[in-house]
Amino acid sequence: MKNGRDMLTVSGLNVAYGESKVLFDISFSVGPDQIVACVGRNGAGKTTLLKSIAGFLKPTSGSIATADADLVGIAPYAVARMGIKYVPQDKKVFSDLTVRENLELASYVTKDYGWDRITGYFPKLRQLMDRKAGYLSGGERQMLMIGRAILGNPKLLLVDEPTEGLAPSFVTHLKDVFREVSRTTALVIVEQNLPLVCAIAEKVYALNEGRIVAELIERDAITPEACERHLQPAAGAAGGAAP
Amino acid sequence: MSTASAGMTVRRSKAAGGIRASAARLFAWWWDLLLAFSLLGLLRFVAPLPFLNEVIIFSIYTIGCNFLLGRVGFISFGQPAYLAVGAYATAFYLYYFGTNPYLGILIGLGAGMAVTLLVGPLFVRLRSDYFALVNLALAVIIYYLMQKVLADITHGDNGLWFLTQISSTPVLDLSRPDQFFVFACIVGLAVWAFYKYLDDSIFGACCLAAKLNDDKLKFLGYSNYGIRLLAFVIANSTTALAGAMYAVYLGFVSPEITSPARAADPVVVTILGGAGTLYGPIVGSLAYTGMKDLISRVMVNWELVVGFLIVFIMLAGEQGIWGTLQPRLKKLFTRRRKSSGGGEQ
Amino acid sequence: MIDAHLLVSGVIFGLSIGSIYFLMTIGLSLCFGLMRIISLDQLLYYSLGAYLTYSISLATGSLWLGVLGGVVVAAVVSRAVERLIFQRIYQRELTFSMITSFGILIGGVGVIKYFWGLVPRPVAVPIAAQVDVLGTAVPAYRLVVIAIALAVYAGIWLFLHRTIIGKAIRAGIEDAEHVEGLGINVHRLFTLTFVIAGALSGLAGALHAPLIMVDPQMGLEVLAFAFMVVIIGGLGSIKGTLISSLIVGQVISLGSLIYAPLAQMAPFAVMLLILLVRPTGLYGSSLVKR
Repeated sequence: MKNGRDMLTVSGLNVAYGESKVLFDISFSVGPDQIVACVGRNGAGKTTLLKSIAGFLKPTSGSIATADADLVGIAPYAVARMGIKYVPQDKKVFSDLTVRENLELASYVTKDYGWDRITGYFPKLRQLMDRKAGYLSGGERQMLMIGRAILGNPKLLLVDEPTEGLAPSFVTHLKDVFREVSRTTALVIVEQNLPLVCAIAEKVYALNEGRIVAELIERDAITPEACERHLQPAAGAAGGAAP
Repeated sequence: MSTASAGMTVRRSKAAGGIRASAARLFAWWWDLLLAFSLLGLLRFVAPLPFLNEVIIFSIYTIGCNFLLGRVGFISFGQPAYLAVGAYATAFYLYYFGTNPYLGILIGLGAGMAVTLLVGPLFVRLRSDYFALVNLALAVIIYYLMQKVLADITHGDNGLWFLTQISSTPVLDLSRPDQFFVFACIVGLAVWAFYKYLDDSIFGACCLAAKLNDDKLKFLGYSNYGIRLLAFVIANSTTALAGAMYAVYLGFVSPEITSPARAADPVVVTILGGAGTLYGPIVGSLAYTGMKDLISRVMVNWELVVGFLIVFIMLAGEQGIWGTLQPRLKKLFTRRRKSSGGGEQ
Repeated sequence: MIDAHLLVSGVIFGLSIGSIYFLMTIGLSLCFGLMRIISLDQLLYYSLGAYLTYSISLATGSLWLGVLGGVVVAAVVSRAVERLIFQRIYQRELTFSMITSFGILIGGVGVIKYFWGLVPRPVAVPIAAQVDVLGTAVPAYRLVVIAIALAVYAGIWLFLHRTIIGKAIRAGIEDAEHVEGLGINVHRLFTLTFVIAGALSGLAGALHAPLIMVDPQMGLEVLAFAFMVVIIGGLGSIKGTLISSLIVGQVISLGSLIYAPLAQMAPFAVMLLILLVRPTGLYGSSLVKR
């Protein structure tokens, strides 16, 4: 594990959509350049968690903070400018714009025009530069989305179910990309693909019905079986942490 | 807001208790309606008759718009269209054919229903913004129709005058304002009872559901289209009824009632009173007509007030006068009325 | 058979009316596309543009100064309205913005009445000359209006397709949340778009003024037509707006050559027909909830 102060600390986070509570008392931390995974079933609250960190949702209570700033109440664009980028689950890119223009938008804000790094990770994008993003396949869109997010060298990437619906070969590719990226960027990956997650994550949180039910920090403890075990819908599961 | 359970509550199987219990239930359902209209009737002694007649007809005009917005979630900027249809149909009858005002009103109502059934199937498919605007377009079209195209039979801007042609009718002579007022109150009571019934019924619950979550309702097996269409027909027929009543009351109809400037009236009154509340239209009408009378003696510039009033109410929480008062009053009465099933007032 | 001269002048007339409608409705389309609001108050900026043109041209003798003044004032007022009111309501549903902007429009009409009174006033046409088009004498001013509208369309197109801000706006029209996720301040984009819309509406009013009389109700009178254009073309599409304005302009103009009383109503029939087939208009975007 890498040393240093945690770059992101979440504590006591409670989030609700109107009247219905979705996240209960979430606390976790992310070290610098660490790969942290968050696993859970559909509806567990994983996307809500990422959206709250990115600023799209306002928590009812609790704190989200980086080493130098408090994130709660900050507008999403400001959070992004602080180097925390959110890659959503929906594989949506700006379809009417070309791949090049999509990247241009990201470069414009971050002042980072070093696209070589992006095409290094995703060589395919080089050929697709002038194609309208609406014509890209699912995997190509995911590449574009991650490429856009990496511009500007973010401190933290929040990635929501990146491998959903993608071919296995691509999943392997992504695995390698994440490993590369994490040399300079922390990652919080939300996933249901347990093998992928367990292969690269240094820390895994299991989320069940809005609560963290397990925190796995030992390399050996991070296995798909362990995750599965913690994600069993237990009757009256009262967040027992068990590495 | 009426919840789905409201309809079920009212329909709960008749518990033991017999006649006494039924009477009590009946009274519980009717008491607010009777109170509201008794108060209106009492106003007869403090307010001028023209004012009150205007208020009642205006309320009936508005309840359609109120229902559409508050229950179905659709605002229409074109209510004057249906008002005009009702008014002109009645006017044509009384000017050209007959003299019976009751028949005239029925014809007006019928014409309204016909037009609504004609355009409804198309309009109701549209998204809320398009809906608002096509209705406005309809209002403008009817304006042109009455003003220019059919000027031969409508006498254009001069309007149709038929006050003298309305015959005196037995029981209530509608050609006399004070008796018209009694008639209007009775019609009002009937209309409000109808809407209250709707509110408490499954249909009412469906409307609300359609407003809140289209998809869920579809999944439950209801036809959103059918619900919206029915609501549309009901609301705009009510508006046509108001138009017909206007025609008989004034004895005169001109295209001005559906001019673009008038499109604001029902919207303002709806918001002012409180969209989605049962008595909102009456409260809103009273407030609006009253303000108009008072303010236009001081300022010519009525629009200024209306405009900023709308904006203010929307920004302040959209509740309107009755919308804000009603929950508070309800709290006061809740203890006493626990058993009578919570329909919205 | 229609006289050829009448036809030519009818077409030009229709193009000039279409141009005015186009300028007036781009704002509505853009505001809907990016911010998902219906901005009925654009018709207030239209009226303001017209009235300022009237006053300034009366004072200075130059219509073009008036047009400039009209556009500037419309832009300033729309900026203020956006800041004071719309910034609070972007998250609300469509109906909310419709009612609120309607209130602003009505209130604005009141303000106009207060400053300028009720009486309709004429505005002098700057170019009295007539130009020969295909053997027919056509008012030069109308040709200028058409030219300006075309220039604006080109300008908007270039802005949206060749500048980074324009691309950001197009991206925002697809998904404003994703744009924000990149770190772009969408609030500024909203404000910019709103002000552009206001300025263009003001331009429409300013250019229209010499062709009609300015009166306090002008915004309300034109409201229905503007929206027929928008509905036919489809909210959210600039191209749709252009095509639709052309259609409506021609329908009104040529329609009045065929049968005058029905001409004003013809767009309504067109609109109904189109809605039957495409409930969101020719090029309309469907409502994607953010």
